Amino acid sequence: MALLEVDRLQTHFRTPDGVNRAVDGVSFSIEKGETLAVVGESGCGKSVTAMSIMRLIAEPPGKSAGEIRFEGRDLLKLSEKEMKKIRGDDISMIFQEPMTSLNPVLKVGRQIGESLRLHQGLDRGQAEDKAVEMLQLVGIPEPKRRAGEYPHQLSGGMRQRVMIAMALACSPKLLIADEPTTALDVTIQAQILDLMRDLKDRVGAAILIITHDLGVVAEVADRVVVMYAGRKVEEAPVRDLFAKPRHPYTRGLLGAVPKLGSSLEGKTEKLAEIPGIVPSLKTKIEGCVFAGRCPEAEDVCREFAPALEEKAPRHVAACHFSPREQEAAA
Amino acid sequence: MTSIVFRRVLSTIPVMGVVALFVFSLLYIAPGDPAAVIAGDQASPEDVERIRQGLGLDRPYLVRFFEWLLQILRGDLGVSIFTNLPVTTMIAQRVEPTLSLMIVTLIIAVGVAVPMGVVAAWKADTWIDRSAMGFAVFGFSTPVFVVGYLIAYLFALKLGWFPVQGYVPIARGVGPWLHSLILPSVTLALVYIALIARITRAAMLDVLSQDYIRTAKAKGVGQRQILFVHGLKNAAVPIVTVIGIGVALLIGGAVVTESVFAIPGLGRLIVDAILRRDYPVIQGVVLLFSFVYVLVNLGVDLVYTFVDPRIRY
Repeated sequence: MALLEVDRLQTHFRTPDGVNRAVDGVSFSIEKGETLAVVGESGCGKSVTAMSIMRLIAEPPGKSAGEIRFEGRDLLKLSEKEMKKIRGDDISMIFQEPMTSLNPVLKVGRQIGESLRLHQGLDRGQAEDKAVEMLQLVGIPEPKRRAGEYPHQLSGGMRQRVMIAMALACSPKLLIADEPTTALDVTIQAQILDLMRDLKDRVGAAILIITHDLGVVAEVADRVVVMYAGRKVEEAPVRDLFAKPRHPYTRGLLGAVPKLGSSLEGKTEKLAEIPGIVPSLKTKIEGCVFAGRCPEAEDVCREFAPALEEKAPRHVAACHFSPREQEAAA
Repeated sequence: MTSIVFRRVLSTIPVMGVVALFVFSLLYIAPGDPAAVIAGDQASPEDVERIRQGLGLDRPYLVRFFEWLLQILRGDLGVSIFTNLPVTTMIAQRVEPTLSLMIVTLIIAVGVAVPMGVVAAWKADTWIDRSAMGFAVFGFSTPVFVVGYLIAYLFALKLGWFPVQGYVPIARGVGPWLHSLILPSVTLALVYIALIARITRAAMLDVLSQDYIRTAKAKGVGQRQILFVHGLKNAAVPIVTVIGIGVALLIGGAVVTESVFAIPGLGRLIVDAILRRDYPVIQGVVLLFSFVYVLVNLGVDLVYTFVDPRIRY
């Protein structure tokens, strides 16, 4: 049994001008200790998927349907009280903005200790000690002094380390990281990714990492889910995806990544871009969600939605024109 | 911390100087001649002139201001024209009821308004929020004397739960003291509750949409803790500010409330003094009120540093 199985998840938001289908029938699963990356452009439903798993979608206006089975239990059916026990203990989360994700008026040590007190019943002193230990673990120098400081006294990179310490304090089985490095300097990004990888092994957690940065994906992920307009369009082990993307959207994403030094070598070719923007999620899309921007789209794409098919072993994509293969992709 | 307090206290000195100048100038700005009032209708111009010289009213403005200032700094607020008692004595006799009224009002107001605002923000746009804010609008727009008489009519005359009027000194027991203060305090608190509750709601609405609230939820923190630990502490600066500003409201309201409920406090004292053109008393009480207000706002500034670690002076 997989650790987490997201099954036909639909998260819709009721808005004054129609229903926003932010996530529309997405399925994937994560094994114990595995790192799964969910990639896609802004507004494709990545973060909403993460928030739905945590059940942090405000309801109303949001509403999730389908099943989210964590160790076999459907999270969407749990009471708020049961869910509260899971959050921060079995499943915890790191957010994009370390600058604003920590409470500015509470000391760092207390914020880390809070989940320990909630979930492991430690008293104030024990939680404080464990918090210092966690700060040490995430590589913050002088952890004892730092635990007594407020977030504004720490740099962005340190704050993200604090977030990680907080998320891992209770040794979760699943860590959801929503764009954990997007707001950080490039040099700090690498440090944070290293740290996450290192600690994941130590704690034995699975990671669901949400990002639009394919560099990050290549760095940490075992498997990748590509999302577009609230749907899953491709899923594959990370090597297969980079070697042989099966969906035109994934190819577009990969083509849009600037190559380091390409202009220095005299190649001044324009960066490939995907024309157009993500379609409005408020109108029901007939046919393939990507048809409007797809260079290969034909009439059939606009009329019939392609099903997710296994194009190669463990490699699924939703595209009419991507051929099935029998042999394994490199 | 000590140096912060010291610097803030020093900075109130110029403020108090300006207040003193204004209070002193009241005598010149206000219509009516105190000498003529004291002399009475039958006095000859010579009598009036003699009284004026006796009070020192004929000497230059600035000379008299600095003499008066020195006198105040020695703790002497002068002598009442009407009763011939020292103003400090008269104030001392009246301080307790007013102070009691204000403290009880403050406790009631903060105790009701802050939770009300927090819950209104939590349940934003539901009937709970709407009725709380409807109540706030009602509280804010109904004059103190109307509320006072209505409450007195209902709870004192009809139901007989509380005395209609009067004040019981705390020396006669906390129970009776509190009993005599409930109706006036609730009356006075209504406007204050409205003000604080609205600001609390607005500040909490802002705070509850912040990323760190989401972080707290993701940790499994319960709703109550989210509201009152993670939320309220972040919303505290505007709330504390409005509580401080509202003290001015309390002072103004106390004057009316004391009249409605016949409480022998400073509010009554100043109303009587104004009616009698008893300038030293007016000056003394206004100076005291201003001083309290400045002091409260100094306190508010200092409280900021406790509730928000990012604020340092």
